[in-house]
Formats: sequence, C-alpha cells, structure tokens
Amino acid sequence: MRLEKCWFCSSTIYPGHGIQFVRNDAKIFRFCRSKCHKNFKMKRNPRKVKWTKAYRRVHGKDMTQDSTFEFERKRNRPERYDRNLAENVLKAIPKIDKIRVTREEKHHKNRMKGKKQKLQMEAARELEQGISLVKAPSVLQKDPSLTLPKIKVGVSQQQSEDNHPMEE
Amino acid sequence: MGGKCPHRNVKKRRYSHKTARRTKFELKGDDMVYAQLNKPDQERPPLPVDEDLPGMGQYYCLHCDRYFANITVRDEHFKTKRHKKRIKQMMGPAPHTQLDADLASGMGMPDNGPKLMSM
Repeated sequence: MRLEKCWFCSSTIYPGHGIQFVRNDAKIFRFCRSKCHKNFKMKRNPRKVKWTKAYRRVHGKDMTQDSTFEFERKRNRPERYDRNLAENVLKAIPKIDKIRVTREEKHHKNRMKGKKQKLQMEAARELEQGISLVKAPSVLQKDPSLTLPKIKVGVSQQQSEDNHPMEE
Repeated sequence: MGGKCPHRNVKKRRYSHKTARRTKFELKGDDMVYAQLNKPDQERPPLPVDEDLPGMGQYYCLHCDRYFANITVRDEHFKTKRHKKRIKQMMGPAPHTQLDADLASGMGMPDNGPKLMSM
C-alpha cells in the first residue's frame, strides 16, 4: 500500500492505478496514466516535457529547496512502533502540509513579482508605436490628448505601511 | 472486393525488419549505458567470450550497444555520425531516474537507516 511517484510526471500513484514496467535488469518504472506510459515508450525525456514536475524543477518554476521536503521520504528501514510518536506524527502531518502550501504560494508570488511593471511598460510601448493606426500623425500634432504626457510631474503620495507579521 | 485484406497486418509488418525491432526492444537503456561509462576502468569487467556473438563478443561499442566482427569494422563504426551523436548524448547530463522523479515531486532523499554491522 505504498504511494509511489510516477517515473515520468512525478505525480502520486495510488494503489490500483497506473502500470508498471520491469526491465530485464530489474529496474522498475512506474507510470500513473497511459499518457506517461506512452511518453516513456516514445523515449521522451521528462526534463524536456513542460507539464512534468521534473521540467518545472529544472526551470525554477517550483520550489525546490525547503525543509518541509525532508519530512516526506522513502524510508528503507522500518521504525519500531511507538504509540506516542505515531500520534504526534499524525497531528503534525496537516500542520506541515499547511506550511508547505504557504511557502509554495510565497515562492510563486516572488516569481511573479515585476509582472505588473512589465505589463505597463509593454502597454506604453504599444501605445507609442501603434497610435498612428488610430489617428494620423498630422492630427496628433494638433490634438495630443490620446498620447501619454511627455512631461513627468512629481506627485507626493502617502504609502501605507505594509508590515504584516510572518504567517509561519 | 474493396474490403481489407485479412492477412496483411500493419502492426505485425511494422516490426518485421531487424533495425526497428532492435531499436525498440533490444538496446540497452540510456541509464544503463551511462552507469557503465561512468565506472572507473578497473571495475569494468572484461568482455566474456561468447560464440553466439560476432567476433566472439570481443569487439564491442558500449555507447551504441553493438558487437562487431573485428577491430577494423569497429573502428569504422566509431567514425559514423550515429556513434558520434551517441557519444555527445552520453557526455551530457545524467539520464532521468526514479530518484529525480521523487525529488521533483517534493520528497527528500531516501532514508536507508544506519549502516549495518559488517559481519
């Protein structure tokens, strides 16, 4: 009843699902869906297929280094049963999962930082380059209301404090 | 007339020639070749003498997993484009393994416990 990971896409394989290929050197390849199995048979590299976790890890799109990853691992040595320890572990699992989700969201937010600024710059550039399609350049000389103002004026803004306490 | 001939089977015919069957079913996997290549030379076993293989199995290309009749033919093979492509591929990053899949999905390194006493 172990939960294994798919060789190709790294998603979890629950019991009764997927297919397993044992090569003649006894190496086992587990697949969660026929999609992954077909990709394996076509000899595709998971690091080059964009929807796999291996690709996302290599290209920095997912969080890769975190202490919460150390709690989940394959343990090849059985532990002696201890009732108190088992109860504490069962209590800790949802807490650790919540912490991991929070950190992944923070990682995503950090990765998406600067996107708004990038979009604004792109919009300004597009307006500058494409305004002649809407109005002729000679008309723009007389009526400059459709273009951005060339002169920057200093504006004093009051910024509210954004010091939220740490969520963990 | 006009129906499909019941004896001609595309699926069977697709693997009827030697190259396709060998490429798909008989070649060693990339990770096996990579592991063999990265062993130090002392640990590589000498090629066993096998009368069923060409050249008694002594003229072998590890990258392409092929046996040759003599050293001349093998050296000719080393000049082919396919072999050079294969060498370049094996010089690259290590092939994907189950451990890579586990790490990518958010698991830590496997825990093998303390080292057992040597008997």
